[in-house]
Amino acid sequence: MSLTYGFAPWLCWALPTIGSVIHFVLPKGLGRARYAAVVLFSFMSWVMALLMLSSIPTHGYEELGGFWFSLPEGASVGIGILLDSLSIILANLVAFLSFLILVYSFKYMEGEPGENRYWFFMSLFIGGMLMLILANNFIFFFIGWKIVGLCSFGLIGHYYTDDRKYWIGGPPPHPFQKPSRCGLKALLVTTFGDVALLGGIIIIYLYSGTFNYVELYETAGVWLSKMSETPGILTITTLLLLAGPFAKSAQFPFHEWLPEAMAGPTPVSALIHAATMVKAGVYFVARVLPIFYFAAWVATPAIQEALVFFVVVAAVGGFTAFLAGTQAMVALELKKALAYSTMSVIGYMMLSLGVAGMSPAALVEGFTSGIFHLINHGIFKAALFLCAGVLIHASHSIYITDMNFSSKEMKFTWAFMWIASLALIGVPPLSGFWSKDGILLSCLESGQFALFLLAALTVAVTSFYTIRFMGIMFHKGHSVEKAHGDHKGEPSILMLLPYGILAVLTVGIGLIGPWVKESIQELFKDQFYALHMISAEHSVHASVSPIAEAVPIAVSLAMIAVGALPAYRAYISHKLDVSRILKRYEILRGLHVFLWNRWYIDAFFNKVFVNSVLASREPTAKYIEGGIDLALNVGIPRIFSGINNNIRKLQTGILSVNMLYILGFMLILIIAFLVLGVL
Amino acid sequence: MQVPYAMLQVILAPVLVAFLTVFFGKYLGKKLGWVAFGVLAYTSLLMINIGIDLWNGLGPFYEEYRWSTSLFDMKFGFLADGLSLPVALIMNMICAACALYSIHYMEHRIEQLFGKEEKGMYTVYFSIYLLFAVGLVGVALSTNLIQMYVFVELALIPSYIMIDLFGYVDRHRIAMMYFIWNHIGAAMFLVGIALAFVGTGSFEITALRNLSNASLGFWVCFFVLIGWLVKMATFGFHVWLPYAHGEHPTSIAAIIATIVGLGNYVIVRLLYGEMLESFRIFGTPLLVLAIITIIYGGFLTLAQDDFKRLYACSTISQTAYSILGIATLTTMGVAGGVFYFLSHILGKCVLFSIAGIVLCQTGIRDMRNLGGLARKMPLTATLCILGSMVLSAFPPLSGFQGEWIMFVGVFQEAGASTGFTVAIVAIFATFLTVAYTFWPILRVFFGPLAPGLENVKEAPLSMVLPLFVLMLIAFIMGIYPESVMRLIGPVVSSMAP
Repeated sequence: MSLTYGFAPWLCWALPTIGSVIHFVLPKGLGRARYAAVVLFSFMSWVMALLMLSSIPTHGYEELGGFWFSLPEGASVGIGILLDSLSIILANLVAFLSFLILVYSFKYMEGEPGENRYWFFMSLFIGGMLMLILANNFIFFFIGWKIVGLCSFGLIGHYYTDDRKYWIGGPPPHPFQKPSRCGLKALLVTTFGDVALLGGIIIIYLYSGTFNYVELYETAGVWLSKMSETPGILTITTLLLLAGPFAKSAQFPFHEWLPEAMAGPTPVSALIHAATMVKAGVYFVARVLPIFYFAAWVATPAIQEALVFFVVVAAVGGFTAFLAGTQAMVALELKKALAYSTMSVIGYMMLSLGVAGMSPAALVEGFTSGIFHLINHGIFKAALFLCAGVLIHASHSIYITDMNFSSKEMKFTWAFMWIASLALIGVPPLSGFWSKDGILLSCLESGQFALFLLAALTVAVTSFYTIRFMGIMFHKGHSVEKAHGDHKGEPSILMLLPYGILAVLTVGIGLIGPWVKESIQELFKDQFYALHMISAEHSVHASVSPIAEAVPIAVSLAMIAVGALPAYRAYISHKLDVSRILKRYEILRGLHVFLWNRWYIDAFFNKVFVNSVLASREPTAKYIEGGIDLALNVGIPRIFSGINNNIRKLQTGILSVNMLYILGFMLILIIAFLVLGVL
Repeated sequence: MQVPYAMLQVILAPVLVAFLTVFFGKYLGKKLGWVAFGVLAYTSLLMINIGIDLWNGLGPFYEEYRWSTSLFDMKFGFLADGLSLPVALIMNMICAACALYSIHYMEHRIEQLFGKEEKGMYTVYFSIYLLFAVGLVGVALSTNLIQMYVFVELALIPSYIMIDLFGYVDRHRIAMMYFIWNHIGAAMFLVGIALAFVGTGSFEITALRNLSNASLGFWVCFFVLIGWLVKMATFGFHVWLPYAHGEHPTSIAAIIATIVGLGNYVIVRLLYGEMLESFRIFGTPLLVLAIITIIYGGFLTLAQDDFKRLYACSTISQTAYSILGIATLTTMGVAGGVFYFLSHILGKCVLFSIAGIVLCQTGIRDMRNLGGLARKMPLTATLCILGSMVLSAFPPLSGFQGEWIMFVGVFQEAGASTGFTVAIVAIFATFLTVAYTFWPILRVFFGPLAPGLENVKEAPLSMVLPLFVLMLIAFIMGIYPESVMRLIGPVVSSMAP
């Protein structure tokens, strides 16, 4: 294939990376125009991504790049770009969303402290994400991956001064968290995953001798069979590899950093949730998925152990979707509710990718739906967060209970946010509906009925929590009196426009949803065939009967209603009094506490990992180190001074005794020489 | 272009300047720092020049001078190959950077200890500082074991004097402790050298090859290894290090981390490079010791409240990474281990210097009394994050490239024997590094400003800029690892059987 714009993929990730320092270079006199330059770089990066789109429809893949550095023993590591449908689609999504978010932040961040730092990290964040998406080998990928993690640390902890107004959590009596601690938590949890991921990558390298994706795909048959000779190795590698994406994408059991990742400015949350960071994990799973699929279904003899990959991904995804969804049902902070919903939706994507490999019948449907959901979620979740930023600014509170907006004051924001919310629920014909339907369908196609039920249940949960937070914020109804200061109405056009565009896109993609999905499906089929050696015969697209296809739609719609009805009655029409219900049923109260405390998972990890390490500090310093110190630095000198005192007694000054010493000494010398001579 | 007597100049120029310093030092006072920087910058340039030739595939370069003919036939020789040159060059550049850094730092320290008038103290400091730098570079370039030993001692004695004169709490006792421990190490090394001479009749490093696989070879390896393990502060031998590094003047502590790590180079050069057959038996015990040291060092570092001692303890753990790589006896492990050592000393130098800056500007070492300094010292905070990134292997800085290359070796070795268990334990231990480097950043630089720090000022540029240059080197090594691997790789590959 010929690619006309050979430079575009390089510029796509390089521009935001360079853009991250551009405002330090430009003269200070330009004021905030320097930051506009950063936005411009991000815009150009998006243009480059668009240029790459033109090479999508042809077929297959293309690799650019070459030698990077040599390793001992003649091996080497390359640096390059892999262009296939997956990377091009995601690069476009990321570059586009990031650009809109930067436009929004240009207004949002006006007058906030530490703006230089903010733009540096934001732009580098985007550069890192594009780097990891476009990279053609594990090492280059991993660099982008770590940069993303580091930038998230910087951005989540943006308000590092930890002033009271930047705290999250609460409300009292519940504890608060400080931004700098939240940043560290994100860094540590994701790094834990990275460490494991690096281990997995190295094991794969040892068996395959390459970091390059294309070579890995091409030689998959050889090195996988070598790997499967020792049972257990493939399982270990799978688990190590998956810890990375699970930590990045906030999946159980590494999910606890994300609810607190909203301590940074809101556009940061938008970027983390919609475009960068959490999407990186899904991308990585999609990137290595064909390898494991090949092992399980294409290779002869089939390597059963490879199925572990899919089982773990699907199970963790499905469970996280449900776990996080339930937590969102009780959240009081707007951004925290959205964060839980991100975890839940990412769980859906993982579930979809997982079931894709459980049966050849589900591969195309599952893979496509997962990525399609990623695209849709990126768009509507960015819109939701950008709206949330406006609402939080306007109400001066992070709690939905303190927010009391009316649809009249903020007509556009209200409408856009509802559109995005309905897409999150999966109401037809918005974009989220089609992809969620596809995920449910692929669960059925692969025969995973338990996961299907879990996913369906989560639909109801999603519908409940979404309507709940929207209702509480916009439809309080009774108290129109403005408790919390100045509602200024609509924000500046620079902020309104980005999420307006995103809301329109949500509707737009929704209207042509089946067609979009069909096109992506065709692209991935091509990619599977050209790049991953998975041909049509290995991925039977089961001809599902129309009735079977209707099942997920019907279930999905029914579950939306199941969740929506009580939420509507409680929070919009106010026919139900939630506090009275809670008072009446103790079990519901207990459930509420359980969910509010995040199933006690956070507390558990804190106790086991954080507190135990903190508790170990004193004993380590005092007893172990102190003990060794005492023995060696005090004990041994004391022995010497003891000997010294005794030797002093030997120094009698009597000549004959001294002669005896000399004789003895010479004897020792002779023995020593003899022994050495023998050696 | 080849400069005549380049390596001799690298060694002699600083010695000469150190000697002259004694005469004109009192006129220059703290400006001596610039003189020291100048000569070290010059020797760095000389080595870069050699490095360019090596890069282009020339060399390795030897320079040999007759040293003794009567009792022993000894040559005073220098070798610049792909392994020794990067090590010597980076150490030299660190010394040059720290010379600049010392100017302000020592002004502060001398003022504290001796009062303002003591201009002579600058002479003492910078003259022995230069000798110290020569010692380090000399170890890396030596071709002769006795010569190497002399340089080891040349690095040790000045640093002993430094801590005794300019150190912190209880400095005389700790200076003595530092000296004794390191001298035990050096003495063991000397025993090893003597045994080698018994076996080969020569002090040349290349002569060690004849001992490989001989029964005496085992004992040579044993003594050299024990000696350097003491100097590298592996678990059990580590108790001197937190004291010594904690109480050293920080400009020296920054470089001491280099001495500690230098053991890695010596082990690779002597034991792995020349007598692999004898050394092989030590592989597994060394691997286990390294993992214990990494984990214990990690927890020990987490337990520190003292900002200077913190980085001292982390040196224990970080140096053990390189040992881990070397202990695998795989080419990747050794090359990665040396790479990691180079990157670690760059990062550690910066971090120690930051502890020094904080101490200098606030007078506080206890992290419990620090906090929120980022708003007062943004450049220092940035440097601290950069240094921590090097240590905890965050790309695009050099630590990452060193670490993963090394771990390829570790997995290779562990995969053959224990099914990756050891390697997985080791790689998860790296997680500790992130915890113990980034948590202190939080404690010192983030959060609300600690009481009493309202008037703290950013450090002068003469302290901060050299450190940024070091981080720039780490950055270049990180995004273009070929700059180092092209030199180290072939040498290490050629050492493998």
